[in-house]
Amino acid sequence: MSKILSNEKVQNIIWGTAGLLFVLIIWQLSVAFTTMGRVIPGPFEVFKSLFSYIFKPMGKYTLIGHTLVSLTRVLVGFTLSAVCGIILGIGMGCSEKINAIVRPIFHMVRPIPGVAWIPIAILWLGIGEEAKIFIIFMGGFAQVVLNTMDGARRVDPTLLGAARMLGANKRQEFFKIVLPYSVPYIFAGLQISLSTSWMAVLAAEMVSSYKGSGWIIITGMNNGDTVQILIGMISIGVVGLMIAFIMRIIERLLCSWRIQGQ
Amino acid sequence: MFMENTRTVTMDKLMIKCSNICKTFESKHDSNEVIRDFNLEIKENEFVVLFGPGQCGKTTLLNIIAGLEQATMGQVFINGHEIKEPGPDRGMVYQTIALFPWLTVMGNVEFGPKVLGVKKKERKERSQYYIDLVGLQGYEKHFPVKLSGGMSQRVGIARAYCNNPAVILLDEPFGHLDAQTRYLMEEELEKICSKERRTIVFVTNNIEEAIYLADRIVLLTNCPTTTKKEYIIDIQKPRDYTSSEFLKLRKEITNETDQTI
Repeated sequence: MSKILSNEKVQNIIWGTAGLLFVLIIWQLSVAFTTMGRVIPGPFEVFKSLFSYIFKPMGKYTLIGHTLVSLTRVLVGFTLSAVCGIILGIGMGCSEKINAIVRPIFHMVRPIPGVAWIPIAILWLGIGEEAKIFIIFMGGFAQVVLNTMDGARRVDPTLLGAARMLGANKRQEFFKIVLPYSVPYIFAGLQISLSTSWMAVLAAEMVSSYKGSGWIIITGMNNGDTVQILIGMISIGVVGLMIAFIMRIIERLLCSWRIQGQ
Repeated sequence: MFMENTRTVTMDKLMIKCSNICKTFESKHDSNEVIRDFNLEIKENEFVVLFGPGQCGKTTLLNIIAGLEQATMGQVFINGHEIKEPGPDRGMVYQTIALFPWLTVMGNVEFGPKVLGVKKKERKERSQYYIDLVGLQGYEKHFPVKLSGGMSQRVGIARAYCNNPAVILLDEPFGHLDAQTRYLMEEELEKICSKERRTIVFVTNNIEEAIYLADRIVLLTNCPTTTKKEYIIDIQKPRDYTSSEFLKLRKEITNETDQTI
C-alpha cells in the first residue's frame, strides 16, 4: 500500500519537474530564435545572475538578505494579525453582544484591501517598519477573524451538550470544545491570511523601501534591468511555495485527527 | 425464587420520577404540542425502554430528563433532586454518537473524569476498565474518524459509563447502524448491563430491540406523546429473538402501536 503511494509521489515529482523543464525550454527557445530575445533575457542568464546574487550584494543586501527582510516583516505582521484576529473572531463567534457591536465596523473595514492602507499608513507611521507591518496586519486580519468566527459559531451543539452532560463547566466547554472545534477553521483562515500578507509586503516595499523583495523588483524596473525584476519575482514565488509547504506540515500536525481518516 | 426477585424489585428505591411533563414548542405563528402530561417512575437498576412510532417526542422526552431541554410544565426528579440542567449524574449516549473527533478513544472516555478533576492515575485506570468492558482494548490511541459505527458507539457507551452516573440515557443509540451490527451491539449492551447495573432509559423505535433489552417497555402515543401502555418483560435474559414468547409479545405490542405515517 505504502509502496504504491510512494510510487505515485515519485511519479508526481517526475511530471512536475518535466513541466518546469518544458517551460524553461520554451523560454530559452523563444529567446534564442524569436524577437522576444530583445526584451527578455534567457533563463540561463537569469538563473546565473540569481545564484551569483546569493553571495554578491544587490544594493545593501544579498538576495537572501532581501528575502529575509521581507519574510521577517511578513512574520511579524502576520503573527500580530493572527493573534488579534483569533481573539476577536472567537469573541464574535461566542458572544452575540460582541458580534452586534463589532460587526458593522468590521464589515465596513473588511472590503478595504491591505494595499489601500498604504497611503494612510505612510502618513501616520512614516516609511519605516511600523507602516509596513501595519499594512501587512490590515491585509491578513479580516480573513482570520471571519474564519475563526465561523468555526466558533459552527460548534456542534450536540458536542457542547455532551460535554455538559459529562460535567464540563463554561470554561472547560470553551477550552475543550469550542477552541479545538475551531482549530481547522482558524487554520484555513491563517493560510489565506499568510498569502495575502506576503502580497501586502511586496506592495508596501514597492512603494517605499530600500530593502526587501519588493525593492528588488521596483529598482529593477527603475534601472531597466529585466534580469533583476525576474530574480525578484522568482524569489517571491519560491518563498511563497516554501511557506505553503510549511503551513501544510503544521496543519498535518495540528489537525492530525481529521487527516488520519482520509 | 421468581417471587422473591419481583419483591426485591418493588422494594428498590425510586430513581427517576417524571411528573406531569408537558412540552410545547412555540413559534411566532403556531405552537406544536410534543408531550402531554407524561408521568413515569423508574426504580433503581431498572432497564426501561421508551418505545414509540417515528417522530413522536421520545428524544425530546429524553433530553428533558437529561436537562438539555426544559419542560414547559412538570418536573423531573432523579434521586429526589429536581433536574434543571445537564450534569454528570446522568450519562448520555447519542444516536449521532457525538464523540469529540479531536480526542482519541482514551481521550473521549476519560473526558468526564478529567473535567471533574479525577486524578490521572485513577482516571486512566477507570477509563481503561470501561474501554476493556466494551471490547476496545488496543484502540485506545485511535481517533474516532478511524472507527466503524459500531466501534464508535462502543466508545460512546464507555464514555457515558466512565463518570459512574446513577442513570444512563440512550437515545436510539443503534439507529444508524446496519442490522448485523445492531444485533451485535444489543447483545453487547445486554452483557454490559448485566455486569454493571445502572438505571437505564433507552429510547427506540425498533420493537425487537425493545423486547430484547427491556425490563419494562413504556409504549408511547404519537404526537403529542404520552404513555399508552406499559409492558413488564419477564423473559429470562439473555433473550432469544425467535422464541415463541418473544414473538408473541412482539405481535401484541406491534398491534398496539400507533401506525401513523
